[in-house]
Amino acid sequence: MATDAPLVEKRNNMVPAVALLVAIAAWAVPGLGHLLLRRWGRALFLFLAVGGLAVVGYGMRGEMFNTRSSDPFGALGFLADACSGAFYFLGRQLESSGPDISRAAGDYGTRFLAGAGVVNLLGVLDAYRIACGRKH
Amino acid sequence: MVVFALCVSVAFACLGRQTTAGRIKYAVWSLALFLVIGVGIAWLMYPFSR
Repeated sequence: MATDAPLVEKRNNMVPAVALLVAIAAWAVPGLGHLLLRRWGRALFLFLAVGGLAVVGYGMRGEMFNTRSSDPFGALGFLADACSGAFYFLGRQLESSGPDISRAAGDYGTRFLAGAGVVNLLGVLDAYRIACGRKH
Repeated sequence: MVVFALCVSVAFACLGRQTTAGRIKYAVWSLALFLVIGVGIAWLMYPFSR
């Protein structure tokens, strides 16, 4: 009993750190967290879903919010966009002609970009739960 | 709307179900609900747009 307790404690101490790294990887590249956890199907479809939303959003010239927004909606928009990880930082490469919200398509594109971030956030939470052992 | 619903449904199905058959069923169901509810809300808002 006394010899088992330190091992259990050590395992529990390691899991949160590894789970956090998996969560960060899942945020940085959509699907990477699940890839590290050997959930190949989830990794692929998450990457395709988040990537599809982001690419379509940039193609429709949606607006990508930044940290310099002066209103709360802009700040929320930045949080949603930033959750898509690499696709947020590649925004300038994917949307070279810049946003155009004067047309309806640009407005829809903005929603697509926010949706990509929110879906990736769900993926991050899922990867974290799997890494913690709370979900199979 | 269809593209958005498709991407989100695929993500929900992958995260919410464990088996392939369950994921496909859930994705189709989720996609149908997205489209029906989206079009339904659009029609509900139609009188207010006139």
